[in-house]
Amino acid sequence: MLEVRNITKSYGEGRTRVTALDNVSFTLGKGKLLAILGPSGSGKTTLVSIIAGLLGPTSGEIMIGGHAVHLRTAAQAARFRREKVGLVFQDHHLVPYLTARENLLLVPHLSGRVTRTHRQLADTLLADFDLTARAAHKPSLLSGGERQRVAIARALMNAPEIMLVDEPTSSLDTERGLQVVELLKAQVHERAMTCLMVTHDPRMAAHADESLTLIDGRATR
Amino acid sequence: MLALKELLGSKLKFSLIALAIGLVVSLTMVTSAMSEGLLTGMSGAKSSLAADALVFQRDTYPTLERSILTVNDLKVIAATPGVMSVYGVGHTFATVGSAEEPFDVRILGLGDRFDQLPIVEGTGEPGPGEAVVDVTAKLEGVELGDTLTLTPVNAELTVVGFTEDRRYVMVPTLFVDLSTWEDLHVASVLGRVEDEGGADAEAGARMAREFTGSASIAAIEFEDGVSIADLEREFDGSYALATPADSARAGNGMPEMILAVGGIQVVSIVIGALLVGVFFYITTLHKTSQVAAIKAIGASNAHLYRELIIQITILVTVATVFGTALAIAAGAGMPPMMAFDPDPVRWATSVLAIFGTAYLGSLFSLRSILRIDPATALGRTEP
Repeated sequence: MLEVRNITKSYGEGRTRVTALDNVSFTLGKGKLLAILGPSGSGKTTLVSIIAGLLGPTSGEIMIGGHAVHLRTAAQAARFRREKVGLVFQDHHLVPYLTARENLLLVPHLSGRVTRTHRQLADTLLADFDLTARAAHKPSLLSGGERQRVAIARALMNAPEIMLVDEPTSSLDTERGLQVVELLKAQVHERAMTCLMVTHDPRMAAHADESLTLIDGRATR
Repeated sequence: MLALKELLGSKLKFSLIALAIGLVVSLTMVTSAMSEGLLTGMSGAKSSLAADALVFQRDTYPTLERSILTVNDLKVIAATPGVMSVYGVGHTFATVGSAEEPFDVRILGLGDRFDQLPIVEGTGEPGPGEAVVDVTAKLEGVELGDTLTLTPVNAELTVVGFTEDRRYVMVPTLFVDLSTWEDLHVASVLGRVEDEGGADAEAGARMAREFTGSASIAAIEFEDGVSIADLEREFDGSYALATPADSARAGNGMPEMILAVGGIQVVSIVIGALLVGVFFYITTLHKTSQVAAIKAIGASNAHLYRELIIQITILVTVATVFGTALAIAAGAGMPPMMAFDPDPVRWATSVLAIFGTAYLGSLFSLRSILRIDPATALGRTEP
């Protein structure tokens, strides 16, 4: 369960003060995919960054599974992301010098140890995402859709409680974009995760379980 | 290990980086070695004398060419409390006229201490009328067994061996025994030979008698626990003394040259180190989105710093080995006249400076990356 309570995020002081998020609140249960819609600059990425612990809110609370995320130190937030969060970026951000399989194994590597179980899990995920044949390829040799699938598979490596997916389809055509969203939705339901997907495309948002729109930092459902 | 994976995954990129850093290491090392070589060429014969101190005639230090110690002076010095052993070192000038192109040499007479010369060819024990010659004389066509005719003193010396790093004022040095030196010195002081209208034989003989057993300076070794200051007190101003290294760095324009050479070395090390520091700052900054993504996945700052340090250590170590090998190869390829004298201390200084700035540049860069907004670091652009 994700609870976002009265989150406000401001930058600057005085006349230059900009409010990116203004008193945003919502809750999202397990096994649900929430699409966050909104125009450029509406605060979508800021919201995801705060939930991930990459940014601190100016005020408000983030509760995941009853634990306060917003109170954690940088080191605690890093550990929280390693253990509980799956992140998928707009531009996939795969590590260019690692193969698809190594990109998946990066997650347990950051936790300190890569075991045989991790390797088996990586191979299973690659198979689930129809990437077995591309396991030894580096990102530069993968198509846009394959990279995004690798990024989602990587985000699942730590069996996350919460998935934060930022514009996963922006670099894909509609057909491939929909495939990625359907794949994501299936994983969310299968693994009973909580998932936030930032998108600007209403067609992609239509496939989510719920949606939330951000305009000038204010949320409407 | 991410650091190693990245190095192996981008071989061309990191090879070029290592090449660039290696060239900087090589440049600083070659500059340093050539500077040191220049100093060795100016005073190697003097600074390498096996002694705790060199004793000069009063008021002549540091000019070896002006100092004369009589046989009595040498006895006084030998009898001074704290002096364990003494041998005379004579100096004179000459020109080798028998070469195709006549060239100047310095002649040093050594009293019974030829074992100190590093012999690269032939023998290190010249008899009367024989000489051990600095190897740079080979560039003038001198070979082992040659008979050198010295002008204007009209004397001959047979080359019985070659030594190295024993030049003085940038010309080859001929090492002879003290009796041979006495003959050459007398002839040199008289200036011209008799048959060219110079001093007569009687004057020469008289001067030779006066010079018998003399030397230009005395090389002394101390008894245990004795210092230069102790002997200065014993001599009470009768003689001047200094270590071979100090006396080599005095006179003949050496202080000015040392300042200039030191300046070149410092500037080359500073520029080289700064270049590497800025270089690493920029190359690390280029990895902003990659670092931000790995951090977002869950890497701790400590993990990112550790990986970066490992990567720089590997890269700069490889570059240093390459640069050092390149510099040594360059030195080996240089002719003996182009003095090349690598100094381990200066080499270590430049390598440490390069390592230091590489760490500083990249860690400062990583610190900057870790402090900026993650969304900005990831290059996120909202559509």
